Amino acid sequence: MLAFELFVQGLVQGSIYALIAVGLTLVYGLLRILHVAHAGLFTLGGYCGVLVANATGSFLLALLVAMVVVGLAGMAMYRLCYQPILDKPPYVALILSIGLFIAMEELFRLIFGPYGLTFDAPALQGRLEILGINLKHAEWATMAGAVIVLGVLALLASRTRLGIAWRATVTVPQMAESFGINIIQVRYVNFFIGSALAGAAGVMVALANLQVEPTMGSVPSYKALAIIVLGGLGNVRGTLIAALALGVIESYGTIYLGKILERDAIAFAFLIVVLMVRPHGLFAKAGG
Amino acid sequence: MKFRAAKIAAIALAGVIVAAGSSFAETVKIGFNAPLTGFAAADGKSALNGALLAVEQANAKGGIKGVKIELVYYDDGASPKNSVPVANKLIEKDQVVVGISGSYSGATRAAAGVYQKAGVPYISAYAIHPDITRTGNYVFRTSFVGEVQGRAGAKLIGAMLGKKRVVMITLKNDFGKSLAAGFKEKAAAYGITIVNEYEYSIKDRQFGPIVAKVKADKPTAIYASGYFFTAGPLVSQLRAAGITAVIVGQEGYDSEKFIKIAGKASEGVIITTSLDRDSKSPETANFIAAFEKKTGAKADMVAASAHTAVKVMVAAMRQAGTTDRAAIRDAIAKIRITASTGVISFNALGEVRKDVQVQVVRGGAFRHHSVISDAKLLAPPSK
Repeated sequence: MLAFELFVQGLVQGSIYALIAVGLTLVYGLLRILHVAHAGLFTLGGYCGVLVANATGSFLLALLVAMVVVGLAGMAMYRLCYQPILDKPPYVALILSIGLFIAMEELFRLIFGPYGLTFDAPALQGRLEILGINLKHAEWATMAGAVIVLGVLALLASRTRLGIAWRATVTVPQMAESFGINIIQVRYVNFFIGSALAGAAGVMVALANLQVEPTMGSVPSYKALAIIVLGGLGNVRGTLIAALALGVIESYGTIYLGKILERDAIAFAFLIVVLMVRPHGLFAKAGG
Repeated sequence: MKFRAAKIAAIALAGVIVAAGSSFAETVKIGFNAPLTGFAAADGKSALNGALLAVEQANAKGGIKGVKIELVYYDDGASPKNSVPVANKLIEKDQVVVGISGSYSGATRAAAGVYQKAGVPYISAYAIHPDITRTGNYVFRTSFVGEVQGRAGAKLIGAMLGKKRVVMITLKNDFGKSLAAGFKEKAAAYGITIVNEYEYSIKDRQFGPIVAKVKADKPTAIYASGYFFTAGPLVSQLRAAGITAVIVGQEGYDSEKFIKIAGKASEGVIITTSLDRDSKSPETANFIAAFEKKTGAKADMVAASAHTAVKVMVAAMRQAGTTDRAAIRDAIAKIRITASTGVISFNALGEVRKDVQVQVVRGGAFRHHSVISDAKLLAPPSK
């Protein structure tokens, strides 16, 4: 029973990782940029969620506003920061991204104070038991939300014109362009969706922690990088599986390895082992 | 004649300007390092406010022999790599007479070496690592080392609350580990069985797996170390899972933010700390009122500790009656004053001797629970 409970707890955590990491892998797939500032957008989502929830009392509205605001912020970040330096070597974008992330953390601290913010009346704190597993509504919602959002995303990618354009752009950008695909538009949509998902994750994490802090993005900033490497950079399905697997492994690890290996180190131990066995990531096609 | 008068007037005026210059520029400087950015900025800001309040109050009472006291402070980000240059800057550039740390253990330990080497008295307001005072005879501490507070926690749970089946949830840093060591040292003496101990990192906010396991352990009390930003989510998640065991924390919980984060789940949580909100001592009551008036925020342990540290320094400098640092050091070693965190005196190592205040959350605020004044149990290390 305990083992099953730990498994479900791992899935909850894994769902959050998935929401964050998918945006990151989308950006990598499209632009070959390690988008560290993605974790800053995640934090922005948390702050938006708390501010709107406290102002309006509506959690759904808070989630929606957070996703839209963060999505737009992601697009702005692409337009103002990444687009002008796309022709530079990749480390330029990486350094820029790290700088952006640090600046965002300090900005949250300057604007909202070092103490972080709390909900006046946190939503979804009731409990629900399914199959003997007793979780907060917020935790069920996180899992359900991840499944729905990522399911819709998979449908979009495989069934719609935009999705096909997106996949084409990822695979062979020059070819896609010559077939009349508007690459710039695809990039905007990409940043909007990826960032909005991170924003949603920020709101759900705020609800789980009952607080947002300027530094709440610091762990996701590097853990999500480990996850997308595990998933095979740019591979959405691989990233999903890696995120969930990591959540579950961490959950068991916290209890049974806690004294030897810190929870946040498990991701990297896992990463080292996988890269030794499968250098392209768990799910990457060889040579891809 | 006229010319001479003008000349005398000019000389007199110059004299006044020089005199005024010297009396205004000459202040007694106290150096202060605290994390004003980064993850510990909340504590750093509160500590700084407590220290500034103490300086303000001391200046209202004539400073030191009529000379104003000035608090020179810099951000150390709770990091040793910043606290060392800050200490050098305070000592060499600002020429501070004494120094105070309003920071965490890592930063304080590193800075202590700089102060000791320069022969400048240094007080750690609330950093708990045992090695800080071992740096040398110029380093003092006005808060409990972790072990002492851990021992107090064992007495509180085992003897005063009568709970014997305990799960420990330990924050994996200097603070949490030294608390756990003190707790384990005395647990058996108070009939406590430690069912399990889990560790977590300071970045953790989600404790789902630990909570599930603690629930299966069925303890009657939980001894959980942490700071308000980890303890808030931890306590709320333990209570949300239906765990009703008594939760005992320490001074890291001691912030109104803890109650704000954990909400209703914080009710009944008991902590060992340095500040008694319902204290009958006018010293403590005045501090709490003055702090709230000055900052609009509720007083907490770090603010009270920084306030206490400044008060100790000021009293020692007044007693020494000079800015000679060796004389000030000797005065600190012999001091016995009442401050907002109780009656303060130091042992041979520079560790504070005082009572442990036990507070309980009731009606959304920390209230008096009890006081542990067992000099033998609370004896700080002396070497």
